Amino acid sequence: MLLKKINVGIIGLGHMGHLHMMNCLHINDVEVVAASDKSKRALKKAGSLGVKNLYVNYQDLLDKKSKDLDAVIISLPNFLHFDSIQLSLEKGLDVFVEKPMATNIDESQKILNLVEKSGRKLMIGHCMRFVDAVEKMKNVVDEGRIGSLEIITIESIQNGPLSHGLIPKPVPEWWLNPKKSGGGALIDIGYHMIDLFRFFAGDSKVLFSCLDYKYNLPVEDGATLILNSYDSSIRGIINVGWFEKMIFPKFNFRLIIHGNADFMSTDQLIPKNIYLHAMNEGAKNFLRRITGRKIHPLSYTYYYEPYYKEMMAFSTCITKDLDPIISAADGLKVMEIINEAYNFFNDKFTGDLE
Amino acid sequence: MGSIVSLVRVRSSEVDIKDSICKAINLVDFKTHSQVRLAVIKPNLCYYWDADTGYTTDPRIVAGIIDWVRETYGANVDIKVVESDATAMQTKLAFLMLGYERLAKEKNVELFNLSNDTAVSKKIYVNGHEIKFKVPQLLLEADLFINAPKLKIMRDTRITCAMKNVFGCISYPRKNIYHPILKEAIVGINKVLHPHLNVVDGIVALGRFPIKLGLIMAGVDPFSIDWVASKIMGYNPSKVEFLRIAMKEKLGSIEGMDICGQNLEEFRKVFPKEGIIPTKYLWAIQLGLLKMYFKLVKDIMPPALQE
Repeated sequence: MLLKKINVGIIGLGHMGHLHMMNCLHINDVEVVAASDKSKRALKKAGSLGVKNLYVNYQDLLDKKSKDLDAVIISLPNFLHFDSIQLSLEKGLDVFVEKPMATNIDESQKILNLVEKSGRKLMIGHCMRFVDAVEKMKNVVDEGRIGSLEIITIESIQNGPLSHGLIPKPVPEWWLNPKKSGGGALIDIGYHMIDLFRFFAGDSKVLFSCLDYKYNLPVEDGATLILNSYDSSIRGIINVGWFEKMIFPKFNFRLIIHGNADFMSTDQLIPKNIYLHAMNEGAKNFLRRITGRKIHPLSYTYYYEPYYKEMMAFSTCITKDLDPIISAADGLKVMEIINEAYNFFNDKFTGDLE
Repeated sequence: MGSIVSLVRVRSSEVDIKDSICKAINLVDFKTHSQVRLAVIKPNLCYYWDADTGYTTDPRIVAGIIDWVRETYGANVDIKVVESDATAMQTKLAFLMLGYERLAKEKNVELFNLSNDTAVSKKIYVNGHEIKFKVPQLLLEADLFINAPKLKIMRDTRITCAMKNVFGCISYPRKNIYHPILKEAIVGINKVLHPHLNVVDGIVALGRFPIKLGLIMAGVDPFSIDWVASKIMGYNPSKVEFLRIAMKEKLGSIEGMDICGQNLEEFRKVFPKEGIIPTKYLWAIQLGLLKMYFKLVKDIMPPALQE
């Protein structure tokens, strides 16, 4: 049976929005019908890639084009997530939104209520679950090969909004405004790591949290959390930070799972030499291309491939009318843990650190 | 034209840094000004990566310079620590993140964003190029202008030290407009702005990777400083393009140049020099291969590479 293509609108064409648009353009089931961004340059680029309906603000896109759309992909600054999700759901569209789903727990709860009321699908960009090494490790745990899972260690140290490609770019003001961003390293990188902890250990609570303000910013630039699964069977430690100079393809991420039969680390699975990996995957894609098979987009980058996979998962959940792999409820659970972590630190430490 | 460049080994304690700065300055041919009312210190704060990464000037170096200025010219000197906004760097944020706000409070000095100063237009000819600059008035009026660069290699110019840090004084934030003629622009701005003294932070220097070099350099001539810095970083200075242009433009000369203090070899042999293929060419090769790949396979290019 031939499935109808789904029509999507891309809301926000920054770093992530542009990547999502490129991924959508490579998925057979997806047609990018419209895009919106404040940047004329970004819109021009989208136009050059064949996107016909371009808007400076997302409200216009939703007002004028929602009848032609099945879904939208939202990659706006955090403080615009709530309004844009709400409006998209009101227009009867399915939604993919970049993490975090909102800037705080109240907004997240409201979004969950709106999703349930609308009957539409909302998937959140928890892309780390799609990292090849993480997928393999989850299979290993599910198959019982490391025995019963006891301890999880997750760390990701990057440069957060201060990171850049070959050419440095200014840091948008909203990143460092807690009201607009919702927080710093914890809600930025920690969000993904907490989601991974939940992915392996299930629903969890905060035993301890410590935030770092090494850079004297209004938001934290580092965080350490100790989590415990609700049934107290699995403990874990999460370390995240914005303090490390990082230029792609460098990527500092590590997940270690300890069971009572064995242990496993992403270090065993992630390519040791990203350049050799890129050459290997590039050659495979070249062969796929000349033999008429479908290429594996972004597989050569290793760390960007999960974004393609999550977009595939989103389009599949719409075309096959399935529940999203990562739901609004998942997003809310992560936000609850983040909220607990902020509260724990503020209750226990604020004042003592001086 | 050539002058004395001093090399002094430093450990990392604050007291030792200050003593080493004084020692380095005493070794060079710096003529003490009779009266200094306004002293300006320009560190290198090119981005938000702190001194231990090898990218930016250690605030302890600036603290040591402030102490030296006060000891030499009295406690009433008005001292300003300055930087200008860059394409990707906001001075206000860099001051905050890199420990300069704390330093300003501790030492009672003012932090000043050169991009907010009255700009004076200057036009300079270098190597057949007419180059226009907007120069902060403060730097033209200062009784004492101290350049406090970092010792590091750079993709486009091979080295970045004293002369390149003067380039960072240009008021206009989008300095990348000069990048097509960067070498000429570095020489050009050094024809307009002349630091009286240069104190180089080589406590942690940046080569292929950061290294605790434990070096403080001082000198009155930015060209001579960069000439010696090139040697430490493993380059033949006469092959560093902007130094070659500076010589051609008679901005600097190696005649009479003298190195005093510690032996240069001690630092040169431990500095993590660039590989056989310079980073600039490695990036170019990689990007070339990627472009060919995209053309053949029509895969997706991540935004980080598109930029």
